[in-house]
Amino acid sequence: MSGHGFLLANYVPGNSLLHRAPLWLKFLLVVGCGMASFLIVDWAVAAAALAVMCALFLLSGAGAARLYRAVRPVLPVLAAIGLFQWWQLGGPTATRIVLNVLVCIVAASILTATTPVQRLLDGVASLAKPFQRFGADPERFALTIAIMLRSIPFIAGAYSDVRDSARARGLERNPRALILPVFITTVAFARQTGDALAARGLGEADTEEHAPPAAPATGHALP
Amino acid sequence: MTQTAGSAAATSSRQRNRWNATDLGLIAVFAALVAGSALIAAIPVAGMGVPITVQTLAVMLTGLALGPGRAFAAVGLYVLLGLAGLPIFSGGRSGLGVLAGPSAGYIIGFVFAATAAGWLTVLVLRRTAGRPGRLRAVLLFAAAMVSSIIFVHGLGILGMMVNAKLDFSKAFLADLVFYPGDVIKNVLAVTIALALHKAFPDLLIRRVRTGAGAPAGTPAAQATVDHRP
Repeated sequence: MSGHGFLLANYVPGNSLLHRAPLWLKFLLVVGCGMASFLIVDWAVAAAALAVMCALFLLSGAGAARLYRAVRPVLPVLAAIGLFQWWQLGGPTATRIVLNVLVCIVAASILTATTPVQRLLDGVASLAKPFQRFGADPERFALTIAIMLRSIPFIAGAYSDVRDSARARGLERNPRALILPVFITTVAFARQTGDALAARGLGEADTEEHAPPAAPATGHALP
Repeated sequence: MTQTAGSAAATSSRQRNRWNATDLGLIAVFAALVAGSALIAAIPVAGMGVPITVQTLAVMLTGLALGPGRAFAAVGLYVLLGLAGLPIFSGGRSGLGVLAGPSAGYIIGFVFAATAAGWLTVLVLRRTAGRPGRLRAVLLFAAAMVSSIIFVHGLGILGMMVNAKLDFSKAFLADLVFYPGDVIKNVLAVTIALALHKAFPDLLIRRVRTGAGAPAGTPAAQATVDHRP
């Protein structure tokens, strides 16, 4: 898990209609499915909706294996809920509950399968824009996201290092020895990152009264 | 920018502007820490049959270590990016589809639990300022437990009721499974948080002093800024 490779797991490159659809439209599709799952009361309608969503997913060219991989993590818990509700509320209702959840999950994976990660992150960063008048700073928000992404591999590495050294000392069953060093490393790393940002004049607030002499340049690209 | 526009922006965004580059670094890296903790394998505990997952531990520790504002930002950023499609929820799940699943309430609850734990931590550290001992540890544990019961378990039960259509008593019973692990994790979180505050004495305390000296205004803020390395 080195670099950002693991972040690309869900995206399937392509040039289908769904790939070219704007992000907000796909987002509306997901939200619509979420709303619909509260309104649909007939299991047949839910099954039809699921069929439509699956057809849309396959239309994107991502393939059936991808579709299965998208729903696989929730299958055990959905099976448990389905069986329990079958016993409690009867077959049709249980089927409707499980199918409704599946509709939402397939709709959400259409979004993530047909949109590059960078595009999704840009979408999240642009969420800050409407809040600009309340003091939100889209640039600092995007900077924070970028730092978080490049820190995930560091954290994973810290966990495996600490696990190795705990094993070497025979402490592999002592959770404190497995976790505390990771957190110490994390705080130290965060402070170094903060110092590195401050040294470059990045990340400081624009309107701070006692601002450092170097005001942040608004034209800087993200690292 | 004109003078008036500048001062208006400063007053409307005073809260936000207190976050300097170090705070941004802490927010971003702790968000990554929660993500990384959700991805690694569960950790074995001596004397316990079941290994514990580290994710809720990392969430509570973010609150205990950073205080309410920065913890809200860090855990909120984690949840936001997970919902946007990064595979950083437990089990490599991701995307808005998580909100339709039965564990949706737990994930939303993380944000509020970390915030509440951070708020209570500031209170506890301020009240026990002169005598850091067993009392502080016990109060911090109580703070972590209260926050996770109200928000993680409360919203978790609500999520199961809404998404899996369980009624309250069934959802409550299903949620009880998580309590033993939670107690262990919160004990661990408090011991780790106390060690963290010992290793980095200005991680949160500087914030507490700034908050206490708020009526004094600029001089207090100026002083804390000047002492920063």
